[in-house]
Amino acid sequence: MTLAGKVAAELEELPASSAVSLQVGIDYYLDAIRGVVDIYASKRDVEIIFVTSTISSQAILDIFKALEIDSSKIFFVDCISHTMMGSTVQDSPALFVESPTMLETIMLKTEYLLRKSKVSEKVVLLDSVNSLGIHNSNYVLSEFLHIFVSSLQSKGVNTLILTVIEHTTPELSNMVNLVCDSVIRVIEEESK
Amino acid sequence: MIADTQRRERCQTGIDALDNILYGGIPRSNTILLSGSCGTGKTSLALEFLIHGALNGERSMFLSVTESISKLLDNVIPYDFFDRSLLEEKKLLLIDLPVIYERLGLTKAELAVEEVGLLVTSILDLVKELEIKRLVIDSITSVGYKLKTQEKIRRFILKIAKGLSSLGCTSMLVSEVPPGTQAYSMFMVEEALADGIILMGNMERRGDLLRTLQVIKMRGTMHSRAKYVLDLTPAGVLLVPLLKGGGGAI
Repeated sequence: MTLAGKVAAELEELPASSAVSLQVGIDYYLDAIRGVVDIYASKRDVEIIFVTSTISSQAILDIFKALEIDSSKIFFVDCISHTMMGSTVQDSPALFVESPTMLETIMLKTEYLLRKSKVSEKVVLLDSVNSLGIHNSNYVLSEFLHIFVSSLQSKGVNTLILTVIEHTTPELSNMVNLVCDSVIRVIEEESK
Repeated sequence: MIADTQRRERCQTGIDALDNILYGGIPRSNTILLSGSCGTGKTSLALEFLIHGALNGERSMFLSVTESISKLLDNVIPYDFFDRSLLEEKKLLLIDLPVIYERLGLTKAELAVEEVGLLVTSILDLVKELEIKRLVIDSITSVGYKLKTQEKIRRFILKIAKGLSSLGCTSMLVSEVPPGTQAYSMFMVEEALADGIILMGNMERRGDLLRTLQVIKMRGTMHSRAKYVLDLTPAGVLLVPLLKGGGGAI
Protein backbone atom coordinates (compact mmCIF):
# COMPACT_ATOMS: atom_id res chain seq x y z
CA MET A 1 0.00 0.00 0.00
CA THR A 2 1.23 3.49 -0.82
CA LEU A 3 1.84 6.05 1.92
CA ALA A 4 -1.18 8.03 0.73
CA GLY A 5 -3.26 4.87 0.86
CA LYS A 6 -2.16 4.23 4.45
CA VAL A 7 -3.19 7.76 5.44
CA ALA A 8 -6.62 7.23 3.87
CA ALA A 9 -6.99 3.83 5.58
CA GLU A 10 -6.21 5.34 9.00
CA LEU A 11 -8.67 8.17 8.39
CA GLU A 12 -11.43 5.70 7.59
CA GLU A 13 -11.02 4.12 11.02
CA LEU A 14 -11.69 7.40 12.82
CA PRO A 15 -14.90 7.97 14.75
CA ALA A 16 -16.92 11.15 14.11
CA SER A 17 -15.73 14.39 15.74
CA SER A 18 -12.11 13.27 15.82
CA ALA A 19 -9.25 15.72 16.08
CA VAL A 20 -6.15 14.29 14.46
CA SER A 21 -2.58 15.46 14.53
CA LEU A 22 -1.33 14.81 11.00
CA GLN A 23 2.45 14.80 11.42
CA VAL A 24 4.05 14.94 8.01
CA GLY A 25 7.67 14.40 7.05
CA ILE A 26 8.94 17.23 4.91
CA ASP A 27 9.27 15.01 1.84
CA TYR A 28 5.82 13.46 2.24
CA TYR A 29 3.55 16.50 2.14
CA LEU A 30 1.98 15.52 -1.18
CA ASP A 31 1.46 11.93 0.02
CA ALA A 32 -0.46 13.25 3.01
CA ILE A 33 -2.59 15.60 0.92
CA ARG A 34 -3.25 12.91 -1.68
CA GLY A 35 -4.26 10.51 1.08
CA VAL A 36 -6.75 12.95 2.55
CA VAL A 37 -8.14 14.57 -0.57
CA ASP A 38 -7.77 12.02 -3.33
CA ILE A 39 -8.19 8.63 -1.71
CA TYR A 40 -10.14 9.24 1.53
CA ALA A 41 -12.52 11.99 0.37
CA SER A 42 -13.16 10.55 -3.08
CA LYS A 43 -14.20 7.16 -1.65
CA ARG A 44 -16.86 8.73 0.52
CA ASP A 45 -19.24 11.63 0.24
CA VAL A 46 -16.95 13.90 2.23
CA GLU A 47 -16.38 17.62 1.79
CA ILE A 48 -12.99 19.00 2.69
CA ILE A 49 -12.52 22.49 4.05
CA PHE A 50 -8.88 23.16 3.40
CA VAL A 51 -7.53 25.98 5.59
CA THR A 52 -4.29 27.01 3.99
CA SER A 53 -1.76 29.38 5.47
CA THR A 54 1.21 27.81 3.75
CA ILE A 55 0.66 28.07 0.00
CA SER A 56 -2.13 29.77 -1.88
CA SER A 57 -5.33 27.93 -2.73
CA GLN A 58 -4.66 28.55 -6.41
CA ALA A 59 -1.23 26.89 -6.14
CA ILE A 60 -2.83 23.91 -4.40
CA LEU A 61 -5.50 23.68 -7.09
CA ASP A 62 -2.77 23.76 -9.75
CA ILE A 63 -1.02 20.87 -8.00
CA PHE A 64 -4.28 18.91 -7.84
CA LYS A 65 -4.82 19.53 -11.54
CA ALA A 66 -1.31 18.33 -12.37
CA LEU A 67 -1.82 15.21 -10.25
CA GLU A 68 -5.33 14.70 -11.69
CA ILE A 69 -6.91 14.89 -8.24
CA ASP A 70 -10.62 15.69 -8.18
CA SER A 71 -11.02 19.02 -6.37
CA SER A 72 -14.80 19.35 -6.74
CA LYS A 73 -15.44 18.62 -3.05
CA ILE A 74 -12.75 20.92 -1.69
CA PHE A 75 -13.36 24.44 -0.43
CA PHE A 76 -10.60 26.69 0.80
CA VAL A 77 -10.10 29.20 3.55
CA ASP A 78 -7.07 30.92 2.10
CA CYS A 79 -5.11 32.98 4.65
CA ILE A 80 -2.05 33.63 2.54
CA SER A 81 -3.04 34.98 -0.91
CA HIS A 82 -3.95 38.43 0.43
CA THR A 83 -0.70 38.67 2.39
CA MET A 84 1.26 37.78 -0.74
CA MET A 85 -0.78 40.39 -2.67
CA GLY A 86 -1.82 37.47 -4.82
CA SER A 87 -4.92 36.92 -6.88
CA THR A 88 -8.15 36.63 -4.90
CA VAL A 89 -10.57 35.63 -7.64
CA GLN A 90 -14.16 35.80 -6.45
CA ASP A 91 -15.42 32.77 -8.37
CA SER A 92 -12.77 30.43 -6.99
CA PRO A 93 -13.74 27.83 -4.38
CA ALA A 94 -11.88 29.90 -1.79
CA LEU A 95 -12.81 32.39 0.88
CA PHE A 96 -9.98 34.75 1.58
CA VAL A 97 -8.72 35.89 4.97
CA GLU A 98 -6.59 39.03 4.85
CA SER A 99 -3.85 37.69 7.07
CA PRO A 100 -2.86 34.54 9.00
CA THR A 101 -3.06 36.71 12.12
CA MET A 102 -6.85 36.93 11.74
CA LEU A 103 -7.52 33.68 13.56
CA GLU A 104 -11.09 34.59 14.45
CA THR A 105 -11.80 35.20 10.77
CA ILE A 106 -10.46 31.73 9.95
CA MET A 107 -13.06 30.33 12.37
CA LEU A 108 -15.80 32.49 10.84
CA LYS A 109 -15.02 31.54 7.24
CA THR A 110 -14.86 27.86 8.21
CA GLU A 111 -18.20 28.18 9.98
CA TYR A 112 -19.69 29.77 6.87
CA LEU A 113 -18.47 26.93 4.63
CA LEU A 114 -19.81 24.36 7.08
CA ARG A 115 -23.22 26.04 6.97
CA LYS A 116 -23.19 26.09 3.17
CA SER A 117 -22.23 22.42 2.94
CA LYS A 118 -24.97 20.03 1.92
CA VAL A 119 -23.20 16.79 2.82
CA SER A 120 -23.26 15.26 6.28
CA GLU A 121 -19.61 14.28 6.54
CA LYS A 122 -17.13 17.12 6.63
CA VAL A 123 -13.42 17.35 7.34
CA VAL A 124 -11.46 20.48 8.15
CA LEU A 125 -7.78 20.28 7.22
CA LEU A 126 -5.62 22.94 8.87
CA ASP A 127 -2.42 23.36 6.85
CA SER A 128 -0.39 24.14 8.81
CA VAL A 129 0.19 25.02 12.43
CA ASN A 130 3.83 25.64 11.56
CA SER A 131 2.99 28.50 9.20
CA LEU A 132 0.37 29.93 11.55
CA GLY A 133 3.11 29.84 14.20
CA ILE A 134 5.21 32.22 12.11
CA HIS A 135 2.55 34.91 12.36
CA ASN A 136 1.07 34.30 15.82
CA SER A 137 2.33 33.89 19.37
CA ASN A 138 2.14 30.44 20.94
CA TYR A 139 -0.35 31.78 23.47
CA VAL A 140 -2.93 32.99 20.96
CA LEU A 141 -2.34 30.03 18.67
CA SER A 142 -3.01 27.65 21.53
CA GLU A 143 -6.20 29.53 22.41
CA PHE A 144 -7.29 29.43 18.75
CA LEU A 145 -6.68 25.69 18.41
CA HIS A 146 -8.62 24.96 21.57
CA ILE A 147 -11.68 26.97 20.55
CA PHE A 148 -11.53 25.96 16.87
CA VAL A 149 -11.20 22.22 17.49
CA SER A 150 -13.76 22.16 20.32
CA SER A 151 -16.24 24.01 18.14
CA LEU A 152 -15.73 21.64 15.20
CA GLN A 153 -16.03 18.60 17.47
CA SER A 154 -19.31 19.89 18.85
CA LYS A 155 -20.61 20.01 15.27
CA GLY A 156 -19.50 16.44 14.52
CA VAL A 157 -16.76 17.60 12.14
CA ASN A 158 -13.41 15.82 11.89
CA THR A 159 -10.35 18.04 12.16
CA LEU A 160 -6.93 17.28 10.76
CA ILE A 161 -4.14 19.50 12.04
CA LEU A 162 -1.10 19.27 9.82
CA THR A 163 2.39 19.83 11.17
CA VAL A 164 5.67 19.36 9.32
CA ILE A 165 7.77 17.17 11.60
CA GLU A 166 11.12 18.81 10.81
CA HIS A 167 9.75 22.31 11.50
CA THR A 168 7.86 21.55 14.69
CA THR A 169 9.19 22.82 18.00
CA PRO A 170 8.33 20.97 21.25
CA GLU A 171 6.02 23.88 22.22
CA LEU A 172 4.11 23.62 18.96
CA SER A 173 3.94 19.85 19.29
CA ASN A 174 2.54 20.09 22.84
CA MET A 175 -0.02 22.62 21.70
CA VAL A 176 -1.34 20.31 18.98
CA ASN A 177 -1.25 17.21 21.20
CA LEU A 178 -3.36 19.00 23.78
CA VAL A 179 -6.32 19.35 21.41
CA CYS A 180 -5.93 16.16 19.36
CA ASP A 181 -7.08 12.69 20.32
CA SER A 182 -5.05 10.71 17.76
CA VAL A 183 -1.94 10.96 15.63
CA ILE A 184 -1.22 9.93 12.06
CA ARG A 185 2.45 10.10 11.11
CA VAL A 186 3.11 10.42 7.40
CA ILE A 187 6.66 9.23 6.91
CA GLU A 188 8.29 6.15 5.31
CA GLU A 189 8.77 3.24 7.75
CA GLU A 190 12.57 3.33 7.66
CA SER A 191 12.52 7.05 8.49
CA LYS A 192 10.31 6.69 11.59
CA MET B 1 -32.22 33.51 39.13
CA ILE B 2 -32.17 31.17 36.12
CA ALA B 3 -35.88 30.48 36.52
CA ASP B 4 -36.57 34.22 36.65
CA THR B 5 -34.65 35.01 33.51
CA GLN B 6 -36.26 32.16 31.59
CA ARG B 7 -39.76 33.26 32.47
CA ARG B 8 -39.76 36.17 30.02
CA GLU B 9 -40.98 35.25 26.56
CA ARG B 10 -38.21 35.59 23.98
CA CYS B 11 -38.05 37.16 20.58
CA GLN B 12 -35.46 35.02 18.83
CA THR B 13 -33.31 37.18 16.59
CA GLY B 14 -32.65 34.19 14.32
CA ILE B 15 -28.93 34.90 14.63
CA ASP B 16 -27.95 31.69 16.42
CA ALA B 17 -24.90 32.99 18.22
CA LEU B 18 -26.65 36.17 19.37
CA ASP B 19 -29.59 34.15 20.68
CA ASN B 20 -27.10 31.99 22.60
CA ILE B 21 -25.43 35.11 24.04
CA LEU B 22 -28.89 36.27 25.18
CA TYR B 23 -29.91 32.90 26.63
CA GLY B 24 -32.60 32.40 24.00
CA GLY B 25 -33.21 35.80 22.45
CA ILE B 26 -34.28 39.34 23.25
CA PRO B 27 -36.96 39.45 25.95
CA ARG B 28 -40.13 40.17 23.99
CA SER B 29 -41.29 43.82 23.84
CA ASN B 30 -37.86 45.15 24.79
CA THR B 31 -36.49 48.22 23.02
CA ILE B 32 -32.85 47.75 22.16
CA LEU B 33 -30.25 50.31 21.23
CA LEU B 34 -28.08 48.89 18.44
CA SER B 35 -25.09 51.11 18.70
CA GLY B 36 -21.91 51.49 16.69
CA SER B 37 -19.89 53.58 14.28
CA CYS B 38 -20.15 53.35 10.51
CA GLY B 39 -19.30 50.06 8.84
CA THR B 40 -19.83 47.94 11.91
CA GLY B 41 -22.81 46.00 10.51
CA LYS B 42 -25.70 47.62 12.41
CA THR B 43 -28.09 47.85 9.46
CA SER B 44 -27.27 44.33 8.26
CA LEU B 45 -27.89 42.85 11.70
CA ALA B 46 -31.12 44.81 12.12
CA LEU B 47 -32.41 43.70 8.72
CA GLU B 48 -31.55 40.08 9.48
CA PHE B 49 -33.52 40.37 12.74
CA LEU B 50 -36.54 41.55 10.75
CA ILE B 51 -36.22 38.98 7.96
CA HIS B 52 -36.09 36.09 10.44
CA GLY B 53 -39.12 37.53 12.19
CA ALA B 54 -41.06 37.83 8.93
CA LEU B 55 -40.10 34.29 7.96
CA ASN B 56 -41.45 33.08 11.30
CA GLY B 57 -44.78 34.82 10.85
CA GLU B 58 -44.03 37.98 12.84
CA ARG B 59 -44.78 40.98 10.66
CA SER B 60 -41.74 43.25 10.69
CA MET B 61 -41.15 46.87 9.76
CA PHE B 62 -37.99 48.83 8.93
CA LEU B 63 -38.19 52.62 9.17
CA SER B 64 -35.32 54.10 7.24
CA VAL B 65 -34.34 57.67 7.96
CA THR B 66 -30.98 58.09 6.30
CA GLU B 67 -31.08 55.80 3.28
CA SER B 68 -33.79 55.39 0.66
CA ILE B 69 -35.44 51.97 0.57
CA SER B 70 -34.40 51.33 -3.03
CA LYS B 71 -30.75 52.03 -2.18
CA LEU B 72 -31.04 49.87 0.92
CA LEU B 73 -32.32 46.95 -1.14
CA ASP B 74 -29.57 47.43 -3.73
CA ASN B 75 -26.90 47.26 -1.05
CA VAL B 76 -28.34 44.60 1.22
CA ILE B 77 -26.29 41.42 1.57
CA PRO B 78 -27.75 38.73 -0.71
CA TYR B 79 -28.97 36.62 2.20
CA ASP B 80 -29.62 32.98 1.30
CA PHE B 81 -32.75 33.08 3.43
CA PHE B 82 -34.18 36.35 2.07
CA ASP B 83 -37.31 35.85 0.03
CA ARG B 84 -38.62 38.86 -1.91
CA SER B 85 -42.15 37.55 -1.52
CA LEU B 86 -41.91 38.75 2.10
CA LEU B 87 -42.05 42.28 0.70
CA GLU B 88 -44.84 41.55 -1.78
CA GLU B 89 -46.94 39.84 0.89
CA LYS B 90 -46.22 42.70 3.31
CA LYS B 91 -44.75 40.44 5.93
CA LEU B 92 -41.70 42.69 5.79
CA LEU B 93 -42.35 46.40 5.36
CA LEU B 94 -39.62 48.85 4.45
CA ILE B 95 -40.70 52.45 4.85
CA ASP B 96 -38.92 55.77 4.31
CA LEU B 97 -39.51 57.81 7.46
CA PRO B 98 -39.11 61.11 5.55
CA VAL B 99 -42.28 60.14 3.63
CA ILE B 100 -44.12 59.97 6.97
CA TYR B 101 -42.63 63.36 7.93
CA GLU B 102 -44.03 64.81 4.72
CA ARG B 103 -47.48 63.28 5.13
CA LEU B 104 -47.67 64.67 8.64
CA GLY B 105 -46.45 68.05 7.46
CA LEU B 106 -43.35 67.79 9.63
CA THR B 107 -41.16 69.55 7.11
CA LYS B 108 -39.38 72.02 9.39
CA ALA B 109 -35.77 71.36 10.33
CA GLU B 110 -36.69 71.13 14.02
CA LEU B 111 -39.84 69.56 15.43
CA ALA B 112 -41.85 71.25 18.15
CA VAL B 113 -42.80 69.31 21.31
CA GLU B 114 -46.34 68.65 20.07
CA GLU B 115 -44.98 67.46 16.72
CA VAL B 116 -42.84 64.88 18.56
CA GLY B 117 -46.07 63.52 20.02
CA LEU B 118 -47.67 63.45 16.56
CA LEU B 119 -44.71 61.52 15.12
CA VAL B 120 -44.76 58.96 17.93
CA THR B 121 -48.53 58.48 17.61
CA SER B 122 -48.24 57.98 13.86
CA ILE B 123 -45.55 55.31 14.21
CA LEU B 124 -47.48 53.54 16.97
CA ASP B 125 -50.68 53.65 14.89
CA LEU B 126 -48.82 51.97 12.03
CA VAL B 127 -47.49 49.30 14.40
CA LYS B 128 -50.97 48.70 15.82
CA GLU B 129 -52.86 48.67 12.52
CA LEU B 130 -50.39 46.45 10.73
CA GLU B 131 -49.82 44.22 13.79
CA ILE B 132 -46.06 44.74 13.64
CA LYS B 133 -44.13 42.50 16.03
CA ARG B 134 -40.61 43.67 15.16
CA LEU B 135 -39.57 47.22 14.40
CA VAL B 136 -36.28 48.84 13.47
CA ILE B 137 -35.67 52.59 13.27
CA ASP B 138 -32.47 53.28 11.34
CA SER B 139 -31.38 55.51 12.80
CA ILE B 140 -32.60 57.05 16.03
CA THR B 141 -29.63 59.41 15.70
CA SER B 142 -31.07 60.90 12.49
CA VAL B 143 -34.46 61.29 14.19
CA GLY B 144 -32.58 62.98 17.05
CA TYR B 145 -31.12 65.57 14.67
CA LYS B 146 -34.68 66.63 13.85
CA LEU B 147 -35.60 66.82 17.53
CA LYS B 148 -32.43 68.74 18.49
CA THR B 149 -32.80 68.95 22.27
CA GLN B 150 -32.13 66.19 24.81
CA GLU B 151 -35.53 66.82 26.32
CA LYS B 152 -37.38 66.14 23.07
CA ILE B 153 -35.25 63.09 22.29
CA ARG B 154 -35.95 61.74 25.77
CA ARG B 155 -39.67 62.34 25.29
CA PHE B 156 -39.63 60.61 21.86
CA ILE B 157 -37.79 57.50 23.07
CA LEU B 158 -39.78 57.19 26.28
CA LYS B 159 -43.11 57.43 24.48
CA ILE B 160 -42.22 55.15 21.63
CA ALA B 161 -40.58 52.50 23.86
CA LYS B 162 -43.59 52.46 26.17
CA GLY B 163 -46.03 52.31 23.27
CA LEU B 164 -44.17 49.55 21.44
CA SER B 165 -43.86 47.51 24.61
CA SER B 166 -47.60 47.73 25.27
CA LEU B 167 -48.22 46.52 21.71
CA GLY B 168 -45.90 43.53 22.21
CA CYS B 169 -43.47 44.84 19.61
CA THR B 170 -39.75 44.14 20.01
CA SER B 171 -37.69 46.97 18.58
CA MET B 172 -34.17 47.99 17.66
CA LEU B 173 -33.17 51.64 17.54
CA VAL B 174 -30.02 52.03 15.51
CA SER B 175 -27.63 54.49 17.13
CA GLU B 176 -24.71 56.00 15.26
CA VAL B 177 -21.65 56.99 17.24
CA PRO B 178 -18.42 58.56 16.01
CA PRO B 179 -15.52 56.10 15.59
CA GLY B 180 -13.28 55.69 18.62
CA THR B 181 -15.74 57.07 21.17
CA GLN B 182 -16.77 55.25 24.32
CA ALA B 183 -20.37 56.50 24.10
CA TYR B 184 -23.34 54.39 23.08
CA SER B 185 -25.25 57.25 21.48
CA MET B 186 -24.85 60.71 20.01
CA PHE B 187 -27.18 62.55 22.41
CA MET B 188 -26.30 60.57 25.57
CA VAL B 189 -29.91 59.99 26.58
CA GLU B 190 -30.77 57.03 24.35
CA GLU B 191 -28.83 54.40 26.33
CA ALA B 192 -30.46 55.25 29.65
CA LEU B 193 -33.93 54.71 28.22
CA ALA B 194 -33.34 51.53 26.24
CA ASP B 195 -33.95 48.08 27.73
CA GLY B 196 -30.80 46.77 26.13
CA ILE B 197 -27.63 47.89 24.40
CA ILE B 198 -25.85 45.90 21.74
CA LEU B 199 -22.58 47.59 20.91
CA MET B 200 -20.96 46.96 17.55
CA GLY B 201 -17.47 48.13 16.80
CA ASN B 202 -14.44 48.12 14.56
CA MET B 203 -11.34 46.91 16.36
CA GLU B 204 -7.94 47.43 14.83
CA ARG B 205 -5.35 44.89 15.91
CA ARG B 206 -1.90 44.72 14.40
CA GLY B 207 -3.21 46.25 11.18
CA ASP B 208 -6.22 43.91 10.96
CA LEU B 209 -9.68 45.44 11.20
CA LEU B 210 -12.20 43.23 13.00
CA ARG B 211 -15.94 43.79 13.40
CA THR B 212 -16.98 43.18 17.01
CA LEU B 213 -20.22 42.79 18.96
CA GLN B 214 -20.83 43.04 22.69
CA VAL B 215 -24.08 43.00 24.65
CA ILE B 216 -23.64 45.74 27.24
CA LYS B 217 -27.02 45.42 28.92
CA MET B 218 -30.26 43.53 28.41
CA ARG B 219 -33.11 43.82 30.87
CA GLY B 220 -35.04 40.65 31.57
CA THR B 221 -32.36 38.10 30.85
CA MET B 222 -28.91 36.96 31.79
CA HIS B 223 -26.42 37.41 28.98
CA SER B 224 -22.77 37.18 28.08
CA ARG B 225 -20.89 40.48 28.27
CA ALA B 226 -17.88 39.16 26.35
CA LYS B 227 -16.72 40.65 23.07
CA TYR B 228 -17.27 38.62 19.91
CA VAL B 229 -15.90 38.96 16.39
CA LEU B 230 -18.51 38.94 13.67
CA ASP B 231 -18.70 38.37 9.96
CA LEU B 232 -21.50 39.46 7.65
CA THR B 233 -22.17 36.59 5.27
CA PRO B 234 -24.96 35.47 2.94
CA ALA B 235 -25.80 32.92 5.66
CA GLY B 236 -26.33 35.84 8.05
CA VAL B 237 -24.31 37.27 10.92
CA LEU B 238 -21.78 34.78 12.28
CA LEU B 239 -20.01 35.27 15.61
CA VAL B 240 -16.99 33.74 17.33
CA PRO B 241 -15.33 34.72 20.61
CA LEU B 242 -12.59 37.34 20.43
CA LEU B 243 -9.31 35.60 21.21
CA LYS B 244 -7.96 37.08 24.42
CA GLY B 245 -4.36 36.37 23.52
CA GLY B 246 -4.73 38.40 20.36
CA GLY B 247 -4.27 41.61 22.33
CA GLY B 248 -6.57 44.61 22.49
CA ALA B 249 -7.19 47.46 20.18
CA ILE B 250 -4.16 49.39 19.01
